[in-house]
Amino acid sequence: MTDGRAQTLLLKNLHRSDSATLEAYLQGGGYRALARALKEMTPEQVVEEVKASGLRGRGGAGFPTGMKWGFMPKGPGPKYLVLNADESEPGTFKDRLLLERDPHLVLEGFLIGCYAVGCHHGFIYIRGEFVRPYRILLQAVQEARARGYVGKNLLGSGYDLEITVYRGAGAYICGEETALLESLEGKLGHPRLKPPFPAQVGLYGKPTSVNNVETVANVPMIVEMGANWYGNIGRPKNTGPKLFCLSGHVRRPGVYEFPLGIPLRELIYQHAGGMLRDDRPLKAVVPGGSSVPVLRADQIDVLMDFDSLAAAGTLLGSAGVIVMDDSVCMVDALLNLARFYAHESCGQCTPCREGTGWYVQILERLERGAGRKSDLDLLLDLSDRIQGNTICPLGDAVAMPVRSYVTQFREEFEEHVATRRCPRAAAAAPGRA
Amino acid sequence: MAEETQQPAEVTLTIDGETVTVPREMNLIQAAAKAGIEIPSFCFHHRLSVAGNCRICLVEIEKMPKNQIACSTRVAPGMVVKTRSEKAVKGRQGVMEFLLINHPLDCPICDKAGECILQSHSFHYGTGQSRFEGEKVHGDKQVDLGPHIVFDAERCIKCTRCIRFCDEVTHTHELGFFNRGDHSIIGTFPGRRLDNAYSGCTSDICPVGALTVKEFRFKQRVWFLKNTASICSGCARGCNVYLGIHQNRIWRIMPRESEAVNKSWICDEGRLSYERYQIAERLADARSGPMVGTAAGTARPLMPRAAWEEAAATLGEVARKHGGASIAAITSGHATLEEQAALAELMRTLGGTRTALPVHERGEDDGLLIRKDKTMNSRGALLIGGVNARLDEIVAAAAKGEIRALIVLREDPIGEGGEEAGAALGTLDLLLTLDWRVTPTVRASDLALPVCAYGELDGSAMNFEGRLQLLRPGLLPHGESDPAWRPLYEMVARLGGEPAPQSFRDAFRRSASRPGPLFGLDTPAVGTAGLDLANAKEP
Repeated sequence: MTDGRAQTLLLKNLHRSDSATLEAYLQGGGYRALARALKEMTPEQVVEEVKASGLRGRGGAGFPTGMKWGFMPKGPGPKYLVLNADESEPGTFKDRLLLERDPHLVLEGFLIGCYAVGCHHGFIYIRGEFVRPYRILLQAVQEARARGYVGKNLLGSGYDLEITVYRGAGAYICGEETALLESLEGKLGHPRLKPPFPAQVGLYGKPTSVNNVETVANVPMIVEMGANWYGNIGRPKNTGPKLFCLSGHVRRPGVYEFPLGIPLRELIYQHAGGMLRDDRPLKAVVPGGSSVPVLRADQIDVLMDFDSLAAAGTLLGSAGVIVMDDSVCMVDALLNLARFYAHESCGQCTPCREGTGWYVQILERLERGAGRKSDLDLLLDLSDRIQGNTICPLGDAVAMPVRSYVTQFREEFEEHVATRRCPRAAAAAPGRA
Repeated sequence: MAEETQQPAEVTLTIDGETVTVPREMNLIQAAAKAGIEIPSFCFHHRLSVAGNCRICLVEIEKMPKNQIACSTRVAPGMVVKTRSEKAVKGRQGVMEFLLINHPLDCPICDKAGECILQSHSFHYGTGQSRFEGEKVHGDKQVDLGPHIVFDAERCIKCTRCIRFCDEVTHTHELGFFNRGDHSIIGTFPGRRLDNAYSGCTSDICPVGALTVKEFRFKQRVWFLKNTASICSGCARGCNVYLGIHQNRIWRIMPRESEAVNKSWICDEGRLSYERYQIAERLADARSGPMVGTAAGTARPLMPRAAWEEAAATLGEVARKHGGASIAAITSGHATLEEQAALAELMRTLGGTRTALPVHERGEDDGLLIRKDKTMNSRGALLIGGVNARLDEIVAAAAKGEIRALIVLREDPIGEGGEEAGAALGTLDLLLTLDWRVTPTVRASDLALPVCAYGELDGSAMNFEGRLQLLRPGLLPHGESDPAWRPLYEMVARLGGEPAPQSFRDAFRRSASRPGPLFGLDTPAVGTAGLDLANAKEP
């Protein structure tokens, strides 16, 4: 947050130690956007403004938020906005920061969203392990209710809005929006078949829109400053500020805010302070959370936005930037990931349920030096058979890293086979303690 | 609704180059089937909601980047579907291989072998080899889920058909999905047992050998069973069933698809009803001879023709001496329509005036299949059996000496009526019983004629809704047993009536020769699916 502080928009209140309080939020101009939306704008105008801003969802898929809201049917009848606060993607910790340090910003954006889609009961689904953020958020909702931002007749506008905060029970898959809805309904967190999409049949069978925490945190500034102003931040079709989560072998891990399109190299070497150890050069970067394809050190001259990263063969995802130096064994790193996905696969559909466990077995034997050359092609082939063939994106989320690790670092996998051992396990072991 | 009716009822699409026109609510599996193309499925069941979890029905659809599952994809005009493209085949073979990596592959000792969808699809859609070399995930074996069902977690492919059945058909919700990933498992919720009245159906729809019926498992290899398409005799629903028969014995009863009667289901009681036909003592071998005149202590074997002669002669004598009003009959909802018609004709020939139909009711109609009327054909008896008296009236009349001869068809008035009935019926000049069991009534009879048990005879029966259906035999008649219509019509012939029919079809046509809803019918019109006569009017 060093030299970016002057331009921070999402993190603008975080310099205050009491940033989570309503008092602090109001002093920073909080809830003016909600008042403006309620008093000066129709719901349709809010949707149009968000559409015009170019805001794309910050949960990972990058779908235009205004368009998503626009899919919601008009007219009376129950419909729901759900806030996805189930942040669980390895390498991602931006929503947690917002929830803990600026819950009212999240809440205000969410309230405006509810108004925009015509929802009178909004649900916030928060990750079960987020105990502290949950308490802080609850407190924020209470404060907001006491001030008339939640409840009957919001700010005298005649618009009623109830908010329910619901804690998950600890499953990565519940961050997938339809699994989230199942879980919210009290059922097992199994993703639903699509179509129908939530905008037609969502929570309790009603039209529903699900938005990420960071996404809604952008909404107040769009309403207050206007779509034109917002659209000038970042790059064309990749507008607005973005939170980047830097982790791994960098000197200053943490959450950084920059406009979309900041160069990855600059993010790592300038803002995150560069590599942790001078004698350990960069080896690999996962730019968007554990699910996206990995980049080699020679591929980091890329802009951190949706379209630039897609063009580079990877994804912005959740913008969880995981930096690895040359002490990392890529087989071991992938095994770690595969174990995570095998553990978190919901078990509902065949390719993901069976394929993730198979990945683990293959990677385990490669890592301990018992693998075969044919195992590399087997890993790639399994990815072909999983990706695109599952109910939800979790299958893709494991198939993509497997494919990219094996492809990008094939020689390292082959070395494991040829030498019948993990070269790094032995070399790194003494120094690791 | 108005919007829907404006759309055409049918859509035309292309599947593997074949042009198909199908109702627009069909999914691609159903549409392909219509074109004679099989799209494999495990989790899809036409009576259950679409789960889309097995993924074996992956197909490629033009203009769609990813493979789609055929079960959850509705047909659309102009859709171009490829089930054999490289992408579709690769996806499908992947699913096949994935399904088998943690499967025990214990087909040689699996009860489902021979009718297992996993086995069958493996044969047709697998590659015949696995690249999996690791350790399989192990699960619980022989989990006792309920009174009739045992679960093998290792064979389960998590298709959730059983869960959906308990949620959507029985609405009893005993089963759930537990854990995650490759440790996922189905099971009963805490404190619950899979003990609904239709639990056996979960085994029928289980595509693998994960759910087996306790009463059948390890009894027979299914490929030795010959399946006879018949109807269940357990209640007035008349569920369509297959009798699984080997070595002249019914080993199991399975539901037979029937849109009109029982959809794809049967109740557990009906499923296990064959057990009651496997009793040790049959009338045909109660005494050493092929036919017996019984009355305790005086039993003597008779040849069938001699028995018919004796029965006809005695009945004729009673009628002459005491008049037709002294002859009564007890017909039965357990009897076939032909048997009921034959008894009614014999009564008309004798001038008999009283015929009763005992009621066998238990429990309540359950809104799904089970009827409290535990006879398969009481509606037939009411239609054709000449029923005009109550059982207690006949017993009372017998006690007063008004009735001197009683013909009992497949009923046990003494066993069910107790001492009073026994005393009343003991004074008759002739108690003539037709049954397959050795009941208290048979023991008290002057003459007892052995008749075929369920599974041994052709026949027709009318269910409570007025649907006429056929029972088909898969077993040889026991000893000298006949369908009851044969001795009854032989008596008619000996008392001056028409000659007895010599085949079931002739007997059926004779039942249909009198005015009424059956008039003029023949068996082919009934067929294996049955015939709805509910709205047929009395002439």
